[in-house]
Amino acid sequence: MAIVAQHSRFSKIAWPVLAWIVGLLFFFPIFWMVLTSFKTDADAVKPEYLFFFTPTLENYANMTENYDYWRFATNSVIVSVFATAFTLFVGIPSAYAMAFNPSRSTKDVLMWMLSTKMLPAAGVLYPMTFLTKNILGIFDTHFLVILVLSLINLPIVIWMLFTYFKEIPKDIIEAGKMDGVNTWGEIREILIPLAWGGIASTALLCFIFCWNEAYWTVRLTTTDAATLSKLIEGNRAPEGLFFGRLSAVSTAAVGPIVVLGWFCQKQLVQGLTFGAVK
Amino acid sequence: MSNRTLPRLLQTPAVVLLLFWMLIPLSMTLYFSFIRYVLNSLRRPEWTKPSLSNWRGFGNYEFVLNNKDFLLAIQNSLLIVCSILFFTVIFGILIAVLINKSFPGQGIVRVLLISPFFVMPAVNAVLWINMILDPVLGLQGLAVNGLNEVIQALREAPLIGWFFSLWPELTPISFRATQTSAIAVIIMVTWQWTPFAVLIFMTSLQSEDQQQKEAAILDGAGAWSQFRFLTLPHLGRPIAIVVMIQAIFHLSLYAEIEIVSRGNGNKNLPYLIGEFANNNIGAASATGIFAVILANIVAFFLLRMIGKTLME
Repeated sequence: MAIVAQHSRFSKIAWPVLAWIVGLLFFFPIFWMVLTSFKTDADAVKPEYLFFFTPTLENYANMTENYDYWRFATNSVIVSVFATAFTLFVGIPSAYAMAFNPSRSTKDVLMWMLSTKMLPAAGVLYPMTFLTKNILGIFDTHFLVILVLSLINLPIVIWMLFTYFKEIPKDIIEAGKMDGVNTWGEIREILIPLAWGGIASTALLCFIFCWNEAYWTVRLTTTDAATLSKLIEGNRAPEGLFFGRLSAVSTAAVGPIVVLGWFCQKQLVQGLTFGAVK
Repeated sequence: MSNRTLPRLLQTPAVVLLLFWMLIPLSMTLYFSFIRYVLNSLRRPEWTKPSLSNWRGFGNYEFVLNNKDFLLAIQNSLLIVCSILFFTVIFGILIAVLINKSFPGQGIVRVLLISPFFVMPAVNAVLWINMILDPVLGLQGLAVNGLNEVIQALREAPLIGWFFSLWPELTPISFRATQTSAIAVIIMVTWQWTPFAVLIFMTSLQSEDQQQKEAAILDGAGAWSQFRFLTLPHLGRPIAIVVMIQAIFHLSLYAEIEIVSRGNGNKNLPYLIGEFANNNIGAASATGIFAVILANIVAFFLLRMIGKTLME
Protein backbone atom coordinates (compact mmCIF):
# COMPACT_ATOMS: atom_id res chain seq x y z
CA MET A 1 0.00 0.00 0.00
CA ALA A 2 2.80 2.34 0.91
CA ILE A 3 4.39 1.90 -2.47
CA VAL A 4 1.15 2.68 -4.25
CA ALA A 5 0.61 5.84 -2.23
CA GLN A 6 4.14 7.01 -2.86
CA HIS A 7 3.80 6.27 -6.51
CA SER A 8 0.64 8.31 -6.84
CA ARG A 9 2.12 11.23 -4.91
CA PHE A 10 5.06 11.23 -7.29
CA SER A 11 2.86 11.04 -10.36
CA LYS A 12 0.59 13.76 -8.99
CA ILE A 13 3.46 16.20 -9.39
CA ALA A 14 5.50 14.67 -12.19
CA TRP A 15 2.56 14.05 -14.51
CA PRO A 16 1.37 17.68 -14.82
CA VAL A 17 4.95 18.95 -14.95
CA LEU A 18 5.76 16.61 -17.81
CA ALA A 19 2.54 17.52 -19.63
CA TRP A 20 3.31 21.23 -19.27
CA ILE A 21 6.86 20.74 -20.51
CA VAL A 22 5.65 18.89 -23.58
CA GLY A 23 2.97 21.51 -24.25
CA LEU A 24 5.42 24.39 -23.95
CA LEU A 25 7.97 22.58 -26.10
CA PHE A 26 5.46 22.16 -28.89
CA PHE A 27 4.35 25.75 -28.66
CA PHE A 28 7.87 27.15 -28.42
CA PRO A 29 8.52 27.61 -32.19
CA ILE A 30 5.34 29.68 -32.49
CA PHE A 31 6.22 31.69 -29.40
CA TRP A 32 9.68 32.25 -30.84
CA MET A 33 8.27 33.47 -34.14
CA VAL A 34 5.97 35.96 -32.40
CA LEU A 35 8.77 37.14 -30.11
CA THR A 36 11.18 37.64 -33.00
CA SER A 37 8.59 39.62 -34.91
CA PHE A 38 9.00 42.39 -32.30
CA LYS A 39 12.77 42.58 -32.76
CA THR A 40 14.57 44.61 -35.38
CA ASP A 41 16.31 42.56 -38.06
CA ALA A 42 19.67 43.41 -36.49
CA ASP A 43 18.65 42.45 -32.96
CA ALA A 44 17.02 39.21 -34.07
CA VAL A 45 20.34 37.46 -34.70
CA LYS A 46 22.22 38.74 -31.64
CA PRO A 47 22.54 36.21 -28.82
CA GLU A 48 22.55 38.96 -26.18
CA TYR A 49 19.04 40.02 -27.21
CA LEU A 50 17.65 36.48 -27.15
CA PHE A 51 14.89 37.16 -24.63
CA PHE A 52 15.50 40.72 -23.47
CA PHE A 53 15.32 43.44 -26.06
CA THR A 54 13.49 46.66 -26.85
CA PRO A 55 10.32 45.60 -28.62
CA THR A 56 9.42 47.40 -31.81
CA LEU A 57 6.43 47.46 -34.12
CA GLU A 58 8.63 48.49 -37.02
CA ASN A 59 8.28 45.12 -38.80
CA TYR A 60 4.50 45.25 -38.72
CA ALA A 61 4.37 48.85 -39.87
CA ASN A 62 6.76 48.02 -42.65
CA MET A 63 4.67 45.03 -43.65
CA THR A 64 1.37 46.89 -43.96
CA GLU A 65 3.04 49.78 -45.78
CA ASN A 66 5.17 47.89 -48.26
CA TYR A 67 3.47 44.56 -48.75
CA ASP A 68 -0.20 45.41 -48.82
CA TYR A 69 -0.91 42.80 -46.12
CA TRP A 70 -4.63 43.59 -45.95
CA ARG A 71 -5.25 42.76 -49.58
CA PHE A 72 -3.67 39.31 -49.18
CA ALA A 73 -5.52 38.76 -45.92
CA THR A 74 -8.86 39.78 -47.45
CA ASN A 75 -8.29 37.40 -50.34
CA SER A 76 -7.46 34.60 -47.92
CA VAL A 77 -10.68 35.18 -46.01
CA ILE A 78 -12.79 35.38 -49.18
CA VAL A 79 -11.46 32.26 -50.86
CA SER A 80 -11.41 30.20 -47.65
CA VAL A 81 -14.98 31.13 -46.72
CA PHE A 82 -16.43 30.52 -50.17
CA ALA A 83 -14.41 27.37 -50.81
CA THR A 84 -15.53 25.92 -47.47
CA ALA A 85 -19.16 26.83 -48.18
CA PHE A 86 -19.07 25.34 -51.66
CA THR A 87 -17.33 22.18 -50.47
CA LEU A 88 -20.01 21.64 -47.84
CA PHE A 89 -22.76 22.43 -50.33
CA VAL A 90 -21.53 19.65 -52.62
CA GLY A 91 -20.24 17.40 -49.87
CA ILE A 92 -23.25 17.17 -47.56
CA PRO A 93 -25.68 15.70 -50.13
CA SER A 94 -23.00 13.37 -51.36
CA ALA A 95 -22.11 12.09 -47.90
CA TYR A 96 -25.82 11.80 -47.13
CA ALA A 97 -26.31 9.58 -50.16
CA MET A 98 -23.35 7.41 -49.22
CA ALA A 99 -24.26 7.06 -45.57
CA PHE A 100 -27.98 6.39 -45.86
CA ASN A 101 -28.30 4.81 -49.27
CA PRO A 102 -25.04 2.95 -49.72
CA SER A 103 -24.56 0.72 -52.69
CA ARG A 104 -21.94 -1.93 -53.24
CA SER A 105 -19.61 0.55 -54.85
CA THR A 106 -19.81 3.20 -52.11
CA LYS A 107 -16.62 2.09 -50.41
CA ASP A 108 -14.72 2.12 -53.69
CA VAL A 109 -16.08 5.52 -54.65
CA LEU A 110 -14.93 6.93 -51.29
CA MET A 111 -11.49 5.41 -51.67
CA TRP A 112 -11.22 6.65 -55.22
CA MET A 113 -12.09 10.15 -54.05
CA LEU A 114 -9.37 10.01 -51.41
CA SER A 115 -6.86 8.71 -53.93
CA THR A 116 -7.35 11.85 -56.05
CA LYS A 117 -5.74 13.72 -53.18
CA MET A 118 -2.57 11.70 -53.54
CA LEU A 119 -1.94 12.77 -57.12
CA PRO A 120 1.10 15.01 -57.29
CA ALA A 121 -0.05 18.53 -58.06
CA ALA A 122 3.25 19.28 -59.78
CA GLY A 123 2.39 16.75 -62.46
CA VAL A 124 -0.69 18.63 -63.57
CA LEU A 125 0.51 22.15 -62.86
CA TYR A 126 1.49 22.84 -66.44
CA PRO A 127 -1.76 21.56 -68.00
CA MET A 128 -3.74 23.48 -65.37
CA THR A 129 -1.87 26.72 -65.99
CA PHE A 130 -2.24 26.31 -69.73
CA LEU A 131 -5.94 25.51 -69.44
CA THR A 132 -6.85 28.33 -67.07
CA LYS A 133 -4.65 30.97 -68.68
CA ASN A 134 -4.92 30.34 -72.39
CA ILE A 135 -8.21 28.52 -72.86
CA LEU A 136 -10.58 29.47 -70.03
CA GLY A 137 -9.05 32.81 -69.12
CA ILE A 138 -9.78 32.42 -65.41
CA PHE A 139 -6.16 32.52 -64.20
CA ASP A 140 -5.65 34.67 -61.08
CA THR A 141 -9.36 34.99 -60.28
CA HIS A 142 -11.10 34.30 -56.97
CA PHE A 143 -13.38 31.93 -58.84
CA LEU A 144 -10.51 29.68 -59.89
CA VAL A 145 -8.88 29.62 -56.45
CA ILE A 146 -12.21 28.85 -54.78
CA LEU A 147 -12.92 26.06 -57.26
CA VAL A 148 -9.49 24.47 -56.86
CA LEU A 149 -9.53 24.72 -53.06
CA SER A 150 -12.98 23.12 -53.03
CA LEU A 151 -11.88 20.29 -55.25
CA ILE A 152 -8.77 19.42 -53.29
CA ASN A 153 -10.68 19.42 -49.99
CA LEU A 154 -13.83 17.70 -51.20
CA PRO A 155 -12.57 14.11 -50.67
CA ILE A 156 -11.55 14.70 -47.05
CA VAL A 157 -14.74 16.63 -46.32
CA ILE A 158 -16.98 13.95 -47.80
CA TRP A 159 -15.17 11.28 -45.86
CA MET A 160 -15.43 13.17 -42.57
CA LEU A 161 -19.12 13.91 -43.08
CA PHE A 162 -19.75 10.33 -44.12
CA THR A 163 -18.32 9.01 -40.85
CA TYR A 164 -20.55 11.36 -38.84
CA PHE A 165 -23.69 10.64 -40.82
CA LYS A 166 -23.16 6.92 -40.48
CA GLU A 167 -23.49 7.25 -36.70
CA ILE A 168 -26.99 8.70 -37.02
CA PRO A 169 -29.64 5.97 -36.69
CA LYS A 170 -31.33 5.34 -40.00
CA ASP A 171 -34.72 5.20 -38.29
CA ILE A 172 -34.67 8.91 -37.57
CA ILE A 173 -34.21 9.68 -41.25
CA GLU A 174 -36.80 7.08 -42.19
CA ALA A 175 -39.26 8.68 -39.77
CA GLY A 176 -38.91 11.87 -41.72
CA LYS A 177 -39.82 10.01 -44.88
CA MET A 178 -43.02 8.76 -43.23
CA ASP A 179 -44.00 12.33 -42.51
CA GLY A 180 -43.79 12.99 -46.20
CA VAL A 181 -40.67 15.10 -46.10
CA ASN A 182 -38.77 15.05 -49.38
CA THR A 183 -35.05 14.43 -49.72
CA TRP A 184 -34.05 18.09 -49.46
CA GLY A 185 -36.25 18.46 -46.43
CA GLU A 186 -34.62 15.44 -44.88
CA ILE A 187 -31.20 16.94 -45.30
CA ARG A 188 -32.18 20.42 -44.22
CA GLU A 189 -34.54 19.68 -41.38
CA ILE A 190 -33.33 16.38 -39.97
CA LEU A 191 -29.77 15.63 -40.99
CA ILE A 192 -28.12 19.03 -40.63
CA PRO A 193 -29.52 19.78 -37.14
CA LEU A 194 -28.63 16.28 -35.96
CA ALA A 195 -25.10 16.29 -37.33
CA TRP A 196 -24.42 19.95 -36.59
CA GLY A 197 -21.36 19.25 -34.42
CA GLY A 198 -19.79 17.08 -37.07
CA ILE A 199 -20.55 19.53 -39.85
CA ALA A 200 -19.07 22.40 -37.84
CA SER A 201 -15.79 20.61 -37.18
CA THR A 202 -15.61 19.51 -40.81
CA ALA A 203 -16.12 23.10 -41.91
CA LEU A 204 -13.44 24.24 -39.50
CA LEU A 205 -10.89 21.72 -40.75
CA CYS A 206 -11.73 22.56 -44.36
CA PHE A 207 -11.28 26.26 -43.61
CA ILE A 208 -7.87 25.58 -42.04
CA PHE A 209 -6.73 23.55 -45.03
CA CYS A 210 -7.96 26.26 -47.42
CA TRP A 211 -6.18 28.99 -45.51
CA ASN A 212 -2.91 27.06 -45.40
CA GLU A 213 -2.89 25.73 -48.95
CA ALA A 214 0.23 26.94 -50.67
CA TYR A 215 0.77 25.02 -53.87
CA TRP A 216 -2.12 26.06 -56.09
CA THR A 217 -2.79 29.40 -54.45
CA VAL A 218 0.80 30.44 -55.16
CA ARG A 219 0.95 29.11 -58.69
CA LEU A 220 -2.50 29.98 -60.04
CA THR A 221 -2.44 33.61 -58.93
CA THR A 222 -0.33 36.68 -59.54
CA THR A 223 -1.95 39.67 -57.83
CA ASP A 224 -5.75 39.87 -57.94
CA ALA A 225 -6.53 36.64 -56.10
CA ALA A 226 -3.22 36.21 -54.28
CA THR A 227 -3.62 34.90 -50.72
CA LEU A 228 -1.39 35.06 -47.65
CA SER A 229 0.58 32.02 -48.80
CA LYS A 230 1.65 34.10 -51.78
CA LEU A 231 2.81 36.83 -49.40
CA ILE A 232 4.92 34.25 -47.55
CA GLU A 233 6.26 32.94 -50.84
CA GLY A 234 7.45 36.41 -51.78
CA ASN A 235 9.15 36.99 -48.44
CA ARG A 236 10.81 33.71 -47.75
CA ALA A 237 13.84 34.11 -50.02
CA PRO A 238 17.03 33.00 -48.27
CA GLU A 239 17.76 36.43 -46.82
CA GLY A 240 18.93 35.05 -43.51
CA LEU A 241 19.42 38.44 -41.99
CA PHE A 242 15.78 39.51 -42.05
CA PHE A 243 14.42 37.32 -39.27
CA GLY A 244 12.43 40.18 -37.79
CA ARG A 245 10.61 41.00 -40.98
CA LEU A 246 10.11 37.32 -41.83
CA SER A 247 8.64 36.64 -38.39
CA ALA A 248 6.24 39.56 -38.62
CA VAL A 249 4.92 38.44 -42.00
CA SER A 250 4.65 34.86 -40.78
CA THR A 251 2.89 35.85 -37.58
CA ALA A 252 0.41 37.97 -39.49
CA ALA A 253 -0.25 35.10 -41.91
CA VAL A 254 -0.82 32.34 -39.36
CA GLY A 255 -2.17 34.52 -36.53
CA PRO A 256 -5.83 34.61 -37.62
CA ILE A 257 -6.08 30.86 -38.23
CA VAL A 258 -4.27 29.91 -35.00
CA VAL A 259 -6.55 32.16 -32.96
CA LEU A 260 -9.59 30.73 -34.72
CA GLY A 261 -8.28 27.26 -33.92
CA TRP A 262 -7.92 28.17 -30.24
CA PHE A 263 -11.50 29.38 -30.03
CA CYS A 264 -12.80 26.28 -31.72
CA GLN A 265 -10.49 23.75 -30.10
CA LYS A 266 -13.32 22.17 -28.08
CA GLN A 267 -15.16 21.56 -31.31
CA LEU A 268 -12.07 20.03 -32.87
CA VAL A 269 -11.25 17.86 -29.87
CA GLN A 270 -14.74 16.40 -29.90
CA GLY A 271 -15.28 16.39 -33.59
CA LEU A 272 -12.07 15.32 -35.25
CA THR A 273 -12.51 11.56 -35.22
CA PHE A 274 -12.76 10.49 -38.87
CA GLY A 275 -14.84 7.59 -37.64
CA ALA A 276 -12.09 6.42 -35.32
CA VAL A 277 -14.39 6.42 -32.30
CA LYS A 278 -17.23 3.97 -32.07
CA MET B 1 -36.27 0.60 -54.98
CA SER B 2 -36.98 3.61 -57.11
CA ASN B 3 -37.29 5.79 -54.00
CA ARG B 4 -33.55 5.26 -53.57
CA THR B 5 -32.62 6.66 -56.95
CA LEU B 6 -32.87 10.32 -56.07
CA PRO B 7 -30.89 10.02 -52.83
CA ARG B 8 -28.18 8.16 -54.70
CA LEU B 9 -28.11 10.76 -57.42
CA LEU B 10 -27.11 13.28 -54.76
CA GLN B 11 -23.54 12.08 -54.86
CA THR B 12 -23.21 12.73 -58.58
CA PRO B 13 -22.17 16.40 -58.36
CA ALA B 14 -19.22 15.49 -56.14
CA VAL B 15 -18.28 12.50 -58.29
CA VAL B 16 -18.55 14.46 -61.54
CA LEU B 17 -16.51 17.37 -60.19
CA LEU B 18 -13.75 15.08 -58.95
CA LEU B 19 -13.83 13.08 -62.16
CA PHE B 20 -13.22 16.27 -64.16
CA TRP B 21 -10.59 17.40 -61.71
CA MET B 22 -8.80 14.11 -62.15
CA LEU B 23 -9.45 13.22 -65.77
CA ILE B 24 -8.71 16.45 -67.59
CA PRO B 25 -5.24 16.97 -66.16
CA LEU B 26 -4.57 13.24 -66.13
CA SER B 27 -5.38 12.77 -69.80
CA MET B 28 -3.29 15.82 -70.69
CA THR B 29 -0.45 14.42 -68.60
CA LEU B 30 -0.80 11.03 -70.28
CA TYR B 31 -0.72 12.65 -73.73
CA PHE B 32 2.32 14.82 -72.92
CA SER B 33 4.15 11.83 -71.51
CA PHE B 34 4.24 10.19 -74.93
CA ILE B 35 5.44 13.17 -76.95
CA ARG B 36 8.54 15.32 -77.03
CA TYR B 37 7.48 18.55 -75.39
CA VAL B 38 9.80 21.17 -73.95
CA LEU B 39 9.10 24.78 -73.03
CA ASN B 40 12.25 26.25 -74.50
CA SER B 41 14.39 24.85 -77.25
CA LEU B 42 16.40 26.94 -79.68
CA ARG B 43 17.65 23.91 -81.51
CA ARG B 44 14.29 22.19 -82.01
CA PRO B 45 11.59 24.87 -81.91
CA GLU B 46 9.00 22.37 -83.17
CA TRP B 47 9.19 20.59 -79.80
CA THR B 48 7.86 23.59 -77.94
CA LYS B 49 4.28 22.95 -79.09
CA PRO B 50 2.38 19.83 -78.06
CA SER B 51 1.72 17.86 -81.21
CA LEU B 52 1.27 14.24 -82.20
CA SER B 53 4.01 14.59 -84.80
CA ASN B 54 6.49 14.76 -81.92
CA TRP B 55 5.49 11.27 -80.80
CA ARG B 56 8.16 9.72 -78.61
CA GLY B 57 6.53 6.48 -77.47
CA PHE B 58 7.96 5.32 -74.19
CA GLY B 59 11.04 7.48 -74.66
CA ASN B 60 10.11 9.85 -71.82
CA TYR B 61 9.54 6.91 -69.50
CA GLU B 62 12.94 5.47 -70.41
CA PHE B 63 14.54 8.85 -69.85
CA VAL B 64 12.99 9.10 -66.41
CA LEU B 65 13.84 5.54 -65.41
CA ASN B 66 17.47 6.10 -66.43
CA ASN B 67 17.64 9.37 -64.52
CA LYS B 68 19.65 8.83 -61.36
CA ASP B 69 17.37 11.15 -59.39
CA PHE B 70 14.28 9.07 -60.04
CA LEU B 71 15.04 6.10 -57.78
CA LEU B 72 16.42 8.50 -55.19
CA ALA B 73 13.18 10.47 -55.30
CA ILE B 74 11.05 7.37 -54.72
CA GLN B 75 13.32 6.32 -51.85
CA ASN B 76 13.14 9.79 -50.37
CA SER B 77 9.35 9.95 -50.72
CA LEU B 78 9.00 6.68 -48.84
CA LEU B 79 11.65 7.56 -46.26
CA ILE B 80 10.04 10.89 -45.46
CA VAL B 81 6.47 9.59 -45.34
CA CYS B 82 7.31 6.49 -43.28
CA SER B 83 9.48 8.39 -40.79
CA ILE B 84 6.84 11.04 -40.26
CA LEU B 85 4.18 8.36 -39.76
CA PHE B 86 6.36 6.49 -37.29
CA PHE B 87 7.19 9.51 -35.15
CA THR B 88 3.75 11.12 -35.20
CA VAL B 89 2.05 7.87 -34.14
CA ILE B 90 4.53 7.22 -31.30
CA PHE B 91 4.54 10.81 -30.03
CA GLY B 92 0.79 11.08 -30.60
CA ILE B 93 0.02 8.09 -28.40
CA LEU B 94 2.44 9.12 -25.65
CA ILE B 95 1.17 12.69 -25.53
CA ALA B 96 -2.50 11.68 -25.75
CA VAL B 97 -2.04 9.34 -22.77
CA LEU B 98 -0.09 12.07 -20.97
CA ILE B 99 -2.75 14.75 -21.26
CA ASN B 100 -5.74 12.45 -20.92
CA LYS B 101 -5.46 12.53 -17.12
CA SER B 102 -6.86 15.66 -15.59
CA PHE B 103 -4.31 18.06 -14.13
CA PRO B 104 -4.17 21.80 -13.45
CA GLY B 105 -4.09 23.75 -16.70
CA GLN B 106 -5.12 20.83 -18.87
CA GLY B 107 -7.11 23.08 -21.17
CA ILE B 108 -4.19 25.45 -21.74
CA VAL B 109 -1.73 22.63 -22.38
CA ARG B 110 -4.16 21.22 -24.91
CA VAL B 111 -4.37 24.54 -26.73
CA LEU B 112 -0.57 24.88 -26.73
CA LEU B 113 -0.18 21.36 -28.06
CA ILE B 114 -2.56 21.58 -30.98
CA SER B 115 -1.38 25.01 -32.18
CA PRO B 116 1.29 23.72 -34.59
CA PHE B 117 -1.42 22.01 -36.61
CA PHE B 118 -2.88 25.38 -37.62
CA VAL B 119 0.40 26.79 -38.91
CA MET B 120 0.80 27.19 -42.66
CA PRO B 121 3.27 24.58 -43.99
CA ALA B 122 5.31 27.26 -45.75
CA VAL B 123 5.62 29.25 -42.53
CA ASN B 124 6.48 26.08 -40.67
CA ALA B 125 9.37 25.38 -43.03
CA VAL B 126 10.65 28.97 -43.09
CA LEU B 127 10.48 29.16 -39.31
CA TRP B 128 12.31 25.90 -38.63
CA ILE B 129 15.01 26.04 -41.25
CA ASN B 130 15.96 29.67 -40.65
CA MET B 131 15.24 30.58 -37.08
CA ILE B 132 15.60 27.27 -35.31
CA LEU B 133 17.84 24.89 -37.25
CA ASP B 134 20.20 27.35 -38.94
CA PRO B 135 23.77 26.41 -37.92
CA VAL B 136 24.90 30.02 -37.47
CA LEU B 137 21.98 32.38 -36.90
CA GLY B 138 19.35 29.93 -35.73
CA LEU B 139 18.78 28.74 -32.20
CA GLN B 140 20.76 25.62 -32.96
CA GLY B 141 23.81 27.68 -33.84
CA LEU B 142 23.39 29.91 -30.80
CA ALA B 143 22.92 26.91 -28.51
CA VAL B 144 25.99 25.12 -29.83
CA ASN B 145 28.02 28.31 -29.47
CA GLY B 146 26.79 28.80 -25.94
CA LEU B 147 27.60 25.21 -24.98
CA ASN B 148 31.07 25.52 -26.42
CA GLU B 149 31.66 28.64 -24.36
CA VAL B 150 30.48 26.90 -21.21
CA ILE B 151 32.75 23.94 -21.89
CA GLN B 152 35.62 26.32 -22.60
CA ALA B 153 35.07 28.03 -19.27
CA LEU B 154 34.85 24.71 -17.44
CA ARG B 155 38.20 23.67 -18.87
CA GLU B 156 39.82 26.50 -16.91
CA ALA B 157 38.16 25.38 -13.71
CA PRO B 158 40.33 23.77 -11.04
CA LEU B 159 39.96 20.05 -10.25
CA ILE B 160 37.36 19.22 -12.90
CA GLY B 161 39.02 21.14 -15.74
CA TRP B 162 40.99 18.10 -17.00
CA PHE B 163 37.72 16.19 -17.48
CA PHE B 164 36.21 18.85 -19.72
CA SER B 165 39.40 19.29 -21.67
CA LEU B 166 38.76 15.78 -22.94
CA TRP B 167 35.50 16.97 -24.51
CA PRO B 168 35.54 17.83 -28.19
CA GLU B 169 34.38 21.16 -29.55
CA LEU B 170 30.78 20.86 -30.74
CA THR B 171 29.96 21.70 -34.33
CA PRO B 172 26.47 22.71 -35.42
CA ILE B 173 24.72 20.60 -38.05
CA SER B 174 23.76 22.21 -41.33
CA PHE B 175 20.29 21.00 -42.18
CA ARG B 176 20.42 22.32 -45.70
CA ALA B 177 23.09 19.81 -46.68
CA THR B 178 22.41 16.83 -48.89
CA GLN B 179 22.42 14.20 -46.17
CA THR B 180 20.55 16.12 -43.51
CA SER B 181 17.83 18.04 -45.33
CA ALA B 182 15.43 15.10 -45.28
CA ILE B 183 15.86 15.02 -41.50
CA ALA B 184 14.91 18.68 -41.27
CA VAL B 185 11.76 18.01 -43.30
CA ILE B 186 10.89 15.06 -41.07
CA ILE B 187 11.39 17.16 -37.93
CA MET B 188 9.19 20.04 -39.07
CA VAL B 189 6.36 17.93 -40.46
CA THR B 190 6.40 15.71 -37.36
CA TRP B 191 6.08 18.86 -35.25
CA GLN B 192 3.12 20.00 -37.31
CA TRP B 193 1.24 16.70 -37.53
CA THR B 194 1.82 15.22 -34.06
CA PRO B 195 -1.00 17.47 -32.77
CA PHE B 196 -3.32 15.93 -35.34
CA ALA B 197 -2.47 12.44 -34.07
CA VAL B 198 -2.88 13.66 -30.49
CA LEU B 199 -6.34 15.06 -31.30
CA ILE B 200 -7.55 11.81 -32.79
CA PHE B 201 -6.02 9.57 -30.12
CA MET B 202 -7.30 11.80 -27.34
CA THR B 203 -10.90 11.60 -28.57
CA SER B 204 -10.51 7.87 -28.83
CA LEU B 205 -9.07 7.54 -25.32
CA GLN B 206 -12.03 9.42 -23.91
CA SER B 207 -14.33 6.73 -25.27
CA GLU B 208 -12.30 3.99 -23.62
CA ASP B 209 -14.28 1.60 -21.45
CA GLN B 210 -13.60 2.81 -17.89
CA GLN B 211 -15.33 -0.16 -16.22
CA GLN B 212 -13.03 -2.53 -18.02
CA LYS B 213 -10.10 -0.53 -16.73
CA GLU B 214 -11.35 -0.56 -13.17
CA ALA B 215 -11.85 -4.30 -13.39
CA ALA B 216 -8.27 -4.64 -14.62
CA ILE B 217 -7.00 -2.54 -11.71
CA LEU B 218 -8.92 -4.71 -9.26
CA ASP B 219 -7.31 -7.74 -10.85
CA GLY B 220 -3.96 -6.16 -10.06
CA ALA B 221 -2.99 -5.07 -13.57
CA GLY B 222 -0.17 -2.53 -13.55
CA ALA B 223 -0.12 0.68 -15.57
CA TRP B 224 1.93 -0.91 -18.31
CA SER B 225 -0.26 -3.96 -18.81
CA GLN B 226 -3.34 -1.74 -18.78
CA PHE B 227 -1.79 0.29 -21.55
CA ARG B 228 -0.55 -2.74 -23.44
CA PHE B 229 -3.67 -4.90 -23.30
CA LEU B 230 -6.50 -2.37 -23.08
CA THR B 231 -5.46 1.02 -24.40
CA LEU B 232 -3.30 -0.04 -27.32
CA PRO B 233 -5.85 -2.44 -28.87
CA HIS B 234 -8.46 0.28 -28.40
CA LEU B 235 -6.25 2.63 -30.43
CA GLY B 236 -5.93 0.26 -33.39
CA ARG B 237 -8.54 1.94 -35.51
CA PRO B 238 -7.46 5.53 -34.76
CA ILE B 239 -3.88 4.59 -35.62
CA ALA B 240 -5.05 3.26 -38.98
CA ILE B 241 -6.92 6.54 -39.60
CA VAL B 242 -3.97 8.71 -38.62
CA VAL B 243 -1.69 6.71 -40.91
CA MET B 244 -4.11 6.96 -43.79
CA ILE B 245 -4.86 10.70 -43.62
CA GLN B 246 -1.21 11.54 -43.18
CA ALA B 247 -0.11 9.29 -46.04
CA ILE B 248 -2.55 11.16 -48.25
CA PHE B 249 -1.11 14.52 -47.27
CA HIS B 250 2.59 13.69 -47.09
CA LEU B 251 2.88 11.85 -50.39
CA SER B 252 2.37 15.22 -52.07
CA LEU B 253 4.71 17.15 -49.74
CA TYR B 254 6.25 20.03 -51.65
CA ALA B 255 6.65 23.39 -49.94
CA GLU B 256 8.80 22.05 -47.10
CA ILE B 257 11.22 20.34 -49.47
CA GLU B 258 11.48 23.38 -51.68
CA ILE B 259 12.14 25.74 -48.80
CA VAL B 260 14.59 23.55 -46.87
CA SER B 261 17.00 22.63 -49.61
CA ARG B 262 15.53 23.46 -52.99
CA GLY B 263 15.52 19.70 -53.50
CA ASN B 264 19.26 19.42 -52.99
CA GLY B 265 19.74 15.70 -52.38
CA ASN B 266 16.31 15.60 -50.91
CA LYS B 267 13.91 15.43 -53.82
CA ASN B 268 10.73 13.52 -53.38
CA LEU B 269 8.59 12.53 -56.33
CA PRO B 270 6.46 15.70 -56.47
CA TYR B 271 9.57 17.87 -56.29
CA LEU B 272 11.29 15.93 -59.07
CA ILE B 273 8.21 16.46 -61.24
CA GLY B 274 8.30 20.16 -60.49
CA GLU B 275 11.95 20.28 -61.45
CA PHE B 276 11.38 18.52 -64.77
CA ALA B 277 8.40 20.76 -65.43
CA ASN B 278 10.65 23.80 -65.52
CA ASN B 279 11.41 22.82 -69.07
CA ASN B 280 10.87 19.19 -70.02
CA ILE B 281 7.10 18.74 -69.85
CA GLY B 282 7.36 15.30 -71.45
CA ALA B 283 9.63 13.95 -68.71
CA ALA B 284 7.61 15.69 -65.98
CA SER B 285 4.46 14.07 -67.33
CA ALA B 286 6.05 10.61 -67.45
CA THR B 287 7.21 11.06 -63.84
CA GLY B 288 3.69 12.20 -63.01
CA ILE B 289 2.32 8.94 -64.39
CA PHE B 290 4.79 7.02 -62.22
CA ALA B 291 3.62 9.04 -59.23
CA VAL B 292 0.01 8.17 -60.05
CA ILE B 293 0.97 4.50 -60.09
CA LEU B 294 2.75 4.88 -56.73
CA ALA B 295 -0.29 6.65 -55.27
CA ASN B 296 -2.50 3.81 -56.44
CA ILE B 297 -0.25 1.20 -54.86
CA VAL B 298 -0.35 3.08 -51.57
CA ALA B 299 -4.11 3.56 -51.88
CA PHE B 300 -4.51 -0.17 -52.45
CA PHE B 301 -2.72 -1.00 -49.19
CA LEU B 302 -4.60 1.69 -47.29
CA LEU B 303 -7.83 0.31 -48.64
CA ARG B 304 -7.02 -3.14 -47.36
CA MET B 305 -6.00 -1.70 -44.02
CA ILE B 306 -8.97 0.55 -43.51
CA GLY B 307 -11.65 -0.33 -46.01
CA LYS B 308 -13.03 -3.21 -44.01
CA THR B 309 -13.74 -1.15 -40.92
CA LEU B 310 -14.89 1.85 -42.92
CA MET B 311 -18.31 0.50 -43.79
CA GLU B 312 -19.09 -1.11 -40.44
